[in-house]
Amino acid sequence: MTFSIKRSIAILQKDYKDVSKNLFVGSSIFMPLVLAALYGRLGVESINEFYMIFNMTFCLVAAYVQCSLIAEEKEKNTLRGLMLSPASTVEILAGKSLLSFIATVLVIAFAAFLIEYKPENILVISIALILSTVFYIGLGTVLGLVTKSVMEASVVILPFMAIFSFGSFLTVFAEKYPILKVAEYMPNSQLIILASEVQIGASLADIWFNLLVILAWVAVIYILVVIVYRKRMMD
Amino acid sequence: MSILKINNLEKHDGHALIFPPFSLEVSAHEAIAIHASTNVRLILLKILVGEMPASNGEWTINGKSYSESKKDYFEQVGMYFLDDGLYERLTVKDHFDFYKKLYHSKLPIEEGLRIIQLEVKRNSKISKLSVSEKRRVHFGRLLFQNPALLIFEEPDQNADLETKRVFVKMVRMLIEKGKGVFVLTGNMESALAITNKVYRLDEAGLHMLDILSEEESTEELHRDVQNLEEKQKEEEIIVQPVRFEKIPTKVNDKIVLFDPPEIDYIESHEGQSNIYIKGEMYPSVFTMTELEKRLHPYGFFRCHRSYIVNLQKVREVVTWTRNSFTLVLGDTKKSSIPLSKTKMAELKGMLGLK
Repeated sequence: MTFSIKRSIAILQKDYKDVSKNLFVGSSIFMPLVLAALYGRLGVESINEFYMIFNMTFCLVAAYVQCSLIAEEKEKNTLRGLMLSPASTVEILAGKSLLSFIATVLVIAFAAFLIEYKPENILVISIALILSTVFYIGLGTVLGLVTKSVMEASVVILPFMAIFSFGSFLTVFAEKYPILKVAEYMPNSQLIILASEVQIGASLADIWFNLLVILAWVAVIYILVVIVYRKRMMD
Repeated sequence: MSILKINNLEKHDGHALIFPPFSLEVSAHEAIAIHASTNVRLILLKILVGEMPASNGEWTINGKSYSESKKDYFEQVGMYFLDDGLYERLTVKDHFDFYKKLYHSKLPIEEGLRIIQLEVKRNSKISKLSVSEKRRVHFGRLLFQNPALLIFEEPDQNADLETKRVFVKMVRMLIEKGKGVFVLTGNMESALAITNKVYRLDEAGLHMLDILSEEESTEELHRDVQNLEEKQKEEEIIVQPVRFEKIPTKVNDKIVLFDPPEIDYIESHEGQSNIYIKGEMYPSVFTMTELEKRLHPYGFFRCHRSYIVNLQKVREVVTWTRNSFTLVLGDTKKSSIPLSKTKMAELKGMLGLK
């Protein structure tokens, strides 16, 4: 099976045109930006607050856009046409993921500018953010494969948004309830820990463990993508 | 060269026989229509698209079979399903841009728009188009895909006249280019508009439609005449007298017309004659005697004082005792109709029995 980048780009362009006219999904892209602008003017300085916005961006842009792109194809009965076309599933998903990826990167960059976040080591932070983006796109793909319509997708995304955007606050209670230690290993908490370390001058060598944990999450979610996809194909 | 080759394909579902084994070939430069009920149509399509296994038999498209390589198989075939969707927010031109790239097609977008007659609406969003216009966008997709075989499900259901015209023209063009066209429809009229090779597929099997062989023989006759007397060509065109023989029935305030072969049987109930068609009852405006007279040339038979039956639909004659008989019809409900003693002899005569 040869991978045709031309077809993926065609799908990317088609989805871009579609999303740009879709107010419902489009507005969710701007939510983190509005919040970022607000926080920036309020003068928020802590890493935790910055990353709450970033994690929310991941959920709203990477995961939700990806999820609704797939769910809408199903809802409007256009997925079968795509599946019967010469484009392979990998090419279809690649086209869609690419759009979510570009959108996420742009929103994150713009949000960082708005809240005036200046990381000490921009390279390490970029790697971590990109890895996280890949993870959330995987999450969105899984949810997209499970849900059947955009409405369903917007409901399903809510608990994940709660966990991943605000879940990092759970670690505050970790000393009182040891069970919440687990929350530290969530990809969002790992990202925050990593960012705080970097801010106090840690280099790539110091935070490799955190990166590895995020990488493990990426691996887990993509294995899940393959499993869910196989199962859905059976139906 | 045949493009679609179906060999002894059959399907059972539980106790029900959907269709018995049948074989069919669609060659290049050929369009074939199958007239079938919704259920048969959906199941046949699901088998062809690989969503449902067949009970028996195999089929290939351009020598590629679904079981061997899905990728090669789907490269040979383009399908239009009635429930296919479009991207509502995109314009017609956006769609064609996308299809052109998706299928690596060389067909210019303008050309595609011209064939489906949507040049004026190229920048309209799909959600602003009518059902018929959306249908034509789907046809456009198949033009870009340009496969060897095109399968259409109910291509002109609920479509306007322009769309029907566009479709018929498009099918002609595809046939000229050496494609195979396979249409599944529940509407005989639309099947006949597209091609003169119409088959009916149901639990009784695949049958070529009789009307067509008649048409072909008239054509042949016509050709012979042409050869013999070329000069008198124009005068020799056979003028078929238009015979209007529809049976009117009254449903509420409407008058519904039926073709005699559609009718299963007619029952008289308290002086009112009711026409039964596929289990539905329609009150007739005629008396039994009038109906008998009108329908006699179509193979109808007054089997009882209050029953007229379409003999084409009779499957069995059941003898209960020496003097009581019942006709069982071949329809889905297996309706049974009484046959009176005196009429039995007449029926036997008609069947050529003693």
